[in-house]
Amino acid sequence: MASEVNTDFLHDKKLDSIAADILRPVGITQGFIVWMGFLGISLLACIYAYYIQFDKGLIVTGLRDYISWGMYIANFVFFVATSLVGMLISSVLGLIGFKWVKPIARIAEIIAVAFAAIAGLVIVSDMGRPERLPYVFMYGRIQSPIIWDVTVVTTYLVISTLLYFLPLIPDLAISKGRMGHTPKWLQKTYEILAVNWKHTPKQYQILLKAVRIMLILIIPTAFAIHTVTSWLFAVTLRPGWDSSIFGPYFLTGAFVAGSAAVVIMMYFVRTNYKLDKYLTEHHFDMMGKLLVLVSIVYLYFNINEYLVPGFKMKTAEAIHLKDLFVGDWAFMFWSVQLLGLVIPIILLLFKFFRKPLSMFVISIVVLIAAWFKRLIIVVPTQDHPFLPIQHVPKAWMVYQPTIVESAITIGTLLLVIIIITVLVKFFPVIPIWEMAEEQNEIDSKSKE
Amino acid sequence: MIKRYFTLLLIVLISIRLSAQVWVVPAENDARKSPFAFDDASRKAGSEIYMTSCKSCHGEPGKNNAVPLVPPPPDMSSVRMQANSDGAMQYKITNGRGTMPSFKNTIATTDVWKVISFVRSFNDKYVQEVAAQAAGGASVANVNIKLNWLKEQNQIQATLSAPSKDKGILPVGGAEVKLFAKRYFGNLLVDEARNTDAAGVALFNFPKDLPGDSAGLVQLVVALSNEAFGDAKRDTTLAIGVPTYRPPLNEQRAMWNVVSKTPIWLLLAYTIAVFGAWGFIIYVFLQIRGIYRAGSEKNTESAE
Repeated sequence: MASEVNTDFLHDKKLDSIAADILRPVGITQGFIVWMGFLGISLLACIYAYYIQFDKGLIVTGLRDYISWGMYIANFVFFVATSLVGMLISSVLGLIGFKWVKPIARIAEIIAVAFAAIAGLVIVSDMGRPERLPYVFMYGRIQSPIIWDVTVVTTYLVISTLLYFLPLIPDLAISKGRMGHTPKWLQKTYEILAVNWKHTPKQYQILLKAVRIMLILIIPTAFAIHTVTSWLFAVTLRPGWDSSIFGPYFLTGAFVAGSAAVVIMMYFVRTNYKLDKYLTEHHFDMMGKLLVLVSIVYLYFNINEYLVPGFKMKTAEAIHLKDLFVGDWAFMFWSVQLLGLVIPIILLLFKFFRKPLSMFVISIVVLIAAWFKRLIIVVPTQDHPFLPIQHVPKAWMVYQPTIVESAITIGTLLLVIIIITVLVKFFPVIPIWEMAEEQNEIDSKSKE
Repeated sequence: MIKRYFTLLLIVLISIRLSAQVWVVPAENDARKSPFAFDDASRKAGSEIYMTSCKSCHGEPGKNNAVPLVPPPPDMSSVRMQANSDGAMQYKITNGRGTMPSFKNTIATTDVWKVISFVRSFNDKYVQEVAAQAAGGASVANVNIKLNWLKEQNQIQATLSAPSKDKGILPVGGAEVKLFAKRYFGNLLVDEARNTDAAGVALFNFPKDLPGDSAGLVQLVVALSNEAFGDAKRDTTLAIGVPTYRPPLNEQRAMWNVVSKTPIWLLLAYTIAVFGAWGFIIYVFLQIRGIYRAGSEKNTESAE
């Protein structure tokens, strides 16, 4: 984001065509109603599943004495991980000055907001007595990483929301008078949210300063959010969690999941809203390169995480690692490593695979693998406690997720998709003013 | 040949294992009998001791709800348990083996007999045989123990006496006595078991370095350890130990302490981080208000 804005673009005719393109899909369409109806009904089924859990307690899940952190906590780690991409794209790449991230930045922020917002709910889904949630704040201890996590997730959500909202303000003002096809209440919402935006240089100056502060602040916050999440595991002595590289290991893994999520959403927006003029093959190509980069870094951390203890094979670690490499978890472990990391890296090295459709397919595989990767991090460690309970039923030792548990997990994913759908459908998904400004810049340069 | 060898080895190993399962009680101990007849009072006293010291593993008698340990602790009403002689039970409770702890210093000898009295109440066929000497002699009853602290020598003097029918109060000689200091878990044997001399006196050397409480107080117990002389003990509290102050584990600031005892460095780091981040966030919220105000200002620049 530049430090100064040349407002000439406001008088350029190209603004009209850009705004028309981007605002065309905004509003309530039949497709939107059908899609939301589908999501809503599915969500109702999941809410019913949660009602069962709320009524009967966690006994309806597969969580027992040995494995008390299952699908829910894996899902939480996945959500936090995926939301981190907002920081990578708009902040790290944006501050460095990469122009190609401009049309993608808002997509990344939407993903950040949606996943961070629901991450907290995911934690509540893991609570047997959710009505005691206030106790976390009333009796929480600052010494506990759980309190750090609560603090930092909240902070990250607020900053991400601001980073979504602030650059949207000029677009809301631009949309005025161009929203004839949308309902009145939406136009009214735009007017309120536009906070009296008149495109004055002073307003741009304030806006750019505010955005810049948030872009810088979100970097340490994002690092903190996922490092602290990793500490929830790494501060214990348990094999598989007791690792000094867990912070960066989680962080780099987060960028893989997040980048894949961005690609998937880019593809949906591009094909459904016919915005291929703005989300071009070049953008997919660049995202492909980014995905390769973050995947290679993550692969490097994976090698460190498994090779070093695998070389030493300390007693407790050896039981855990054998379970992963050749034991009960081997199929999932190797599938995740190969399909989610090694093969995508190899494929995406070729320009041929960095096309929208193939990127889309690869990203879906990567994202699914990323979810299972969290399960592999969370669950197998608990299979082998240092002090096993004697004579326990087998059901206590082996984690078998139930339908109720799976439905609640799917429900949280549906909530994320609903938030994304609403934001994408009711607000411009690509920054109009930044596109117009860039176009204006290119035009004026070519005139010279 | 090798196959035969392994078969033999297997048999030897199995028989070793089997023999290890049997808890051998020396014949002398096996034959011992309670010095007193079991009655309702002894059963009641035994029941109380059982509930505090035995139930946690052996469970409630007759309910077969013992903790599943290896080897499994038998239920009190079981045939296996009742097959023990009184003496065998006394030996096993006193000495322990494997997961069964020794109660040598925790439950006094006479109290052990009371526990056995309670255990036997779950066996209808049981008929008690009382130790011959105790059953016959009444002269050993009502032994009285006096305790003296000989400060200079740092010795504890126990003087045993008992009333007799015709000669008034007489010293009890040749009785075995033990001195214990009460600790958190059970009693600590101080010095060795001593026999009283003809004057009924036993002397115990007290160590100079035994930790007491913050005032140096130690609770002492002197007890007869030979049940032939009946059941007598005396406890007293003396400022005989080394004054020891152990700060409670939750006194200082620590990671694992309550929130009001957070380590300072953590409190500072957390507070600075939270206030720092939220300071900027609030500042940015104020900027949004600034944007709103700037929109209301009359300005010529945007009108051009």
